[in-house]
Amino acid sequence: MFIRKVSLALALSVMPALAVMPAATAQEITLSDSQITPDMRAALDEGGSLVVVDVLGAVCDFCALAMTRTFERRDEVAAATVDLDAKTLTFVVHEGRTLDDATITDLIRRAGYQANGITRPEAV
Amino acid sequence: MKQYAITAAALMLAVALAPPAAQARPVSYEGGRTFIAEHDRSMSSVWAHYTPHHRYSIGYRGEWHRDDDHAFHGAQVTWLARRWFGEDYQANLYLSGAAGLAYGVDDNPAGTGPAGSLGVMADWETRRWFVSYMARGFSGETTGQSAMQAARLGVAPYIANYGALHTWLMVQVEHNPEAENPVGVTPLVRFFQGPLMAEAGWSVTDDRPFLQLQYRF
Repeated sequence: MFIRKVSLALALSVMPALAVMPAATAQEITLSDSQITPDMRAALDEGGSLVVVDVLGAVCDFCALAMTRTFERRDEVAAATVDLDAKTLTFVVHEGRTLDDATITDLIRRAGYQANGITRPEAV
Repeated sequence: MKQYAITAAALMLAVALAPPAAQARPVSYEGGRTFIAEHDRSMSSVWAHYTPHHRYSIGYRGEWHRDDDHAFHGAQVTWLARRWFGEDYQANLYLSGAAGLAYGVDDNPAGTGPAGSLGVMADWETRRWFVSYMARGFSGETTGQSAMQAARLGVAPYIANYGALHTWLMVQVEHNPEAENPVGVTPLVRFFQGPLMAEAGWSVTDDRPFLQLQYRF
């Protein structure tokens, strides 16, 4: 299966003061195809930003459906999907729009589930 | 008036709680709608529910008690009393109540009268295993009282991701004290994909089909 890598690379070499810092400072998140749909890729290409939410209790398609529909109804969200294997909800926010962590947590709750961590990787 | 009081008391005493269709769960995401149709060994039912809040759903419920020859039409509320979450599991406790009118059909001369039901359902599921229990009490002023309980065990022979076809093999054991065969066993297969869930089985006790369809809008 094709694996898409989304890296959070923080350039350390440009600043001499940071050159001594360990390489681990550069984060890397690997997402599978099932975590990024074609619609999400298109939204990323248009300047959108990616959000990954670890979710508790997502064990079936009704769970996934509840979360994707709840988020895709929001004007800020271009596209969303759930990966039951990774236990994540991933979605893309339109360029220039934001969804803060409190709102995301509340939307997950309104879908009937519970957020267990939110990350905002920077697609490269 | 006394009869109404008796009916109300019977409902209160029907500690047998339960969501209508044997193992159906109408509580969805906020703004979601659920359609459910079920045909089991003794009853056929239809519901159309709306979820205004992630903790409860409201809607229409109609049922045809084929063994007792009576029908019910009413409003139902299903409340998600508690949901437990884990990385790999989900467990739920639901309470439900319905109120409406019941009347005799076919050879049953019973007239129209107030009726209702109370129910409870609990389930625990992972992507591989499913266990549930439900109980329900029904009381109608003109159509009498009944109670039933059911338990279900299921296993998914393979694990599928969101959007793929999920398949479950399940067995349901029902207990209807008033039935000719009080304890019934129904093996069934569940297919699940996106907004659609369909179940088909066969009551080996009564030699009757079991069918259920759920759709989430």
